Amino acid sequence: MADDSLTDIYGNRIGVACRCHSDLCREVTVSGPKLSLRSVLVYTCGVWLLAYAAFCCTENTAVLSCAIILTLVGLMVYIHFFKVDHESLLIIGSLGVQLSSSYASGRECTSFIEMSKIKDVVINEAVYMHRVIYYLCILIKDPADPHAVSSVLPLFQSSKPRLKCLIEVYKTCQEILAQS
Amino acid sequence: PPCGPVENKKVLYGRQPYPDNYVDRRFLAELRRNVGVQQLRYWSVAREAGLVGQQVSCVAVFVALWSSLDGGALPPAALLWGGLLAALLGYGLHGALGGGTGGRTRWADLQSAAIFLAFTFGFSPVLKTLTESVSTDTVYAMSALMLLAHLLFFPYARPSPPGSLSLNAALFGSVCLASRLPGALHAFAMLTWALLLFALWPCLLQRLRDRAPRAFPWAAALVSLAGVGGLSGLWPGGSVLLLLTLLALTLACPLLLVRLQRHKDNIHGPWDEAEIREDLSRFLD
Amino acid sequence: MVLKIFFPQCCTTADSGLLVGCWIPDQDSAVVLAVVHYPFIPGQVKRYLTEIRSQTDVDLTVLGSWSMPKEGQEGMDSFLKDLSTIFPHSRWLQLSREIGKRGFTCQVVRKGGMFLKEQAKEGEGSVRDENEKVIIVHYDQRKVMLSQLHPVQEGVSHSKMEQSALRAVFHTVAQSHPLFFIDKYDDGPLKLTHWQSEGREASIIAELVKQGSVPVCKLLTWMLSLWSWLGSIRLLNVPPVRFISSKLSTCVQLGYRTEHLQTVSSTRKATEHMEFMRKANIFVSFLLDMALGLLLIAWLYRENRIGKLASTLVPVADHVAKELRELLEWLMGAPAGLKMNRALDQVLGRFFIYHIHLWISYIHLMSPFIEMILWYVGLSACLGLTFALSVLSDMVALLTFHIYCFYVYGARLYCLKIYGLSSLWRLFRGKKWNVLRQRVDSCSYDMDQLFIGTLLFTILLFLLPTTALYYLVFTLLRLVVVLFQGLIHLAVDLLNSFPLFAMGLRVCRPYRLAEGVKFRVLCEEEGTPLHLMMEINPIKVSAVLQYYRTPTYSCYPRDSWMALCKKLFVGELIYPWKHKTTKTD
Repeated sequence: MADDSLTDIYGNRIGVACRCHSDLCREVTVSGPKLSLRSVLVYTCGVWLLAYAAFCCTENTAVLSCAIILTLVGLMVYIHFFKVDHESLLIIGSLGVQLSSSYASGRECTSFIEMSKIKDVVINEAVYMHRVIYYLCILIKDPADPHAVSSVLPLFQSSKPRLKCLIEVYKTCQEILAQS
Repeated sequence: PPCGPVENKKVLYGRQPYPDNYVDRRFLAELRRNVGVQQLRYWSVAREAGLVGQQVSCVAVFVALWSSLDGGALPPAALLWGGLLAALLGYGLHGALGGGTGGRTRWADLQSAAIFLAFTFGFSPVLKTLTESVSTDTVYAMSALMLLAHLLFFPYARPSPPGSLSLNAALFGSVCLASRLPGALHAFAMLTWALLLFALWPCLLQRLRDRAPRAFPWAAALVSLAGVGGLSGLWPGGSVLLLLTLLALTLACPLLLVRLQRHKDNIHGPWDEAEIREDLSRFLD
Repeated sequence: MVLKIFFPQCCTTADSGLLVGCWIPDQDSAVVLAVVHYPFIPGQVKRYLTEIRSQTDVDLTVLGSWSMPKEGQEGMDSFLKDLSTIFPHSRWLQLSREIGKRGFTCQVVRKGGMFLKEQAKEGEGSVRDENEKVIIVHYDQRKVMLSQLHPVQEGVSHSKMEQSALRAVFHTVAQSHPLFFIDKYDDGPLKLTHWQSEGREASIIAELVKQGSVPVCKLLTWMLSLWSWLGSIRLLNVPPVRFISSKLSTCVQLGYRTEHLQTVSSTRKATEHMEFMRKANIFVSFLLDMALGLLLIAWLYRENRIGKLASTLVPVADHVAKELRELLEWLMGAPAGLKMNRALDQVLGRFFIYHIHLWISYIHLMSPFIEMILWYVGLSACLGLTFALSVLSDMVALLTFHIYCFYVYGARLYCLKIYGLSSLWRLFRGKKWNVLRQRVDSCSYDMDQLFIGTLLFTILLFLLPTTALYYLVFTLLRLVVVLFQGLIHLAVDLLNSFPLFAMGLRVCRPYRLAEGVKFRVLCEEEGTPLHLMMEINPIKVSAVLQYYRTPTYSCYPRDSWMALCKKLFVGELIYPWKHKTTKTD
């Protein structure tokens, strides 16, 4: 893939890996930027400096211990609930599509959508803040009316790859969807 | 533009060899100036402006009455008697001028009067304590604002029946002022006069203007004089100011209007929006 | 089409034999349930299958053959291929393992003996038919059998059910429960490999509980029906009694508890999953509630704690009254530097102080009996902690009745003023509210109407700050009480509706409540079909709450904060409970 396809919409580098298990099953993994040590250090130092300033005013050591606990808990909450390390898309022909995102702490969120519920996989565009971005999404069939779309499920929500990367993933998806 | 033999038509639906924004020489031929402008005469304008002046001096009369009552220069009983006399005189004049009672009988008038008196008399002790805790400046500011609102929203074109907002503002202001008076009877007298000046007097004035156009300027002048005179005992500078204001309102402003009428330059033409000329009133009945 | 074979994990090491399972119609997938080992007599296999078929709804058939290469069993393959002629079929699967490979290969034989090989030669790859692709999905038979897919679709008619292969697989495995009762130690004519249960528990206690629960349930049901009959027949249905009992949280709690016990004690077996879970949830929360209540009693009736409580109650009430009186005296002066209408202020203040006086004399009149009342009321905790909390809430409501009264007076006065001012303000501008068109129209009033309206408007406007201040202070007091009561109600509601059993199941046996599945690619060896591992994706904790919450009054839609603020602003009364009338259908 071209060089600028390996960046997300903000220009950060992302890694895209496509594994081909068989001609019926592909797995695309998009890994976002790693947790940068610098930002962690900056935030921690900021909180600690504030705490130290508060300590100078109040002369209460509880402030310092609070700050330490706060940074630790904040870091843990951040890596457990917010920081997504990589997202992967497993497409199994005639069976379904599995989306999983694993967080920096190792927690994994997986959901599997059966092929009978999927109407199509498309690239859509959306207004996001002050720009227009492209995203890949799965159109879910309405159980009552098989021709209607009941909901749209966006893919790669946390690592937002650019259009070029999305097109590659889209081609992979369509190849397998067309087979089954 | 192509100057062909084709004459330009002012339509957009037909295909013509002219651009859409093309105008030809006939365009300004249909220009009209000052259609239907009435020529104003100075004295008739001044006569009508007298209404504004007398309303301003009505407010001045009211303020003068209040301040003399507040200062103790005028006993409330005298004011009440005066009010009764004025009301009876006015009612008699109103009846004498005739011109239809507007569906109101004497019994209905009596009923209204009874309601006014009963409510005002009943509430005047409450009024006395109403603004006790509010500072005097606030009350004055509020009353001044309300009386100004009365003057601004007064329906000068047709004073009777009095406009809701202007009458209510005047009554609100007078209640505020009345609550500052030393006794309940004072408040009662003040409210009675407020009613006379702001509600009943415009009705009588309207009747005068309709029925006795000659007497109308004299009545307005009388009220204006009363206002100036009343204010002069209270605040001489203010009375001079009021006099100047009245003169400006009744003499200078109409002069200005008539002078400026010459410079009036309204243009009409085919670009105006459509106007329905026909008199539709016969369909409305 | 791609053929999907769901293969139980426990059968990967089974000896050669026949694959028993069923085809899922329309989905082109086969579920393997067990492997019948060689040697067997085909007639016995057929008889056994019809027997099982009659016990379950599953259309059990022989799917194909399974060959596990072993030393000394060469030539088995051809024998297994020949078996396809004995059993009727449209497609015959031949799964075979090879030594040294983790995956196994699959061959599909159509009726008519045509072979469709999965691993075709490279040269023939381009002409390969679509039909021959195979995915083998391994699954854990025990977990799939026990798990329940969400959202639960039990009451839904079959036509409305969504066409889902996974749901069908789960359904099939769960239905073929009787198949798994035969274990490998049975001396039957057939040897099978499938998930082995550890044998049914023959605990005496469990059996005794099972036997004993039926008469206990019957007795409970009878007592409950007697209780509800008592409730319906006595003079409890006279309007005032009914109104009061609908407002007392103890009575409401009693109603809920009766309903719950009726659900639990019904002797009908819970066949459906949701019903079973509902019963279990209610039962577990009931037990927890009772245990907590007994703990409370054990703590309360020791060391004369009741007496101490009663002796502190009267001074506390006195203290509250004193504080209130000070508050009123402060309000009657110039509170926070605000200047209020002195006459109205004095009248209101005296009125409220007289009220407090009345209240205090009432409390003092009651004081000799308070300990006894508390002692008897405390006994209600043996019905459960929720009862104790409800009684506490009611007692708080009764003890702060004066605050409620103040609030109501203040609110009514304020409400009257606000409504009067809003309509008089329209009169002031010469407008009126048109009821028919629901809008403000202009209107010409009579002069006397205008005069009286303006007079009243002025008076109301100048008296508004005084009333508003009294209203504000008493509303704050009331809000404190309502907040306290609300917290108690929240605790009671949590105890009543929290799905403890489902939560425990989610924590200890996550596979029992499944949200879906997830797949893992097992092995990619050249020449074998794709092997996937199907694992169960447990349901989220928040979803457990959503599905299994016992419905109580907190489930009804409640007012938004904006609506509450609006109510407070216009002076409508607020209550901790929900109006029954607002509950539609």
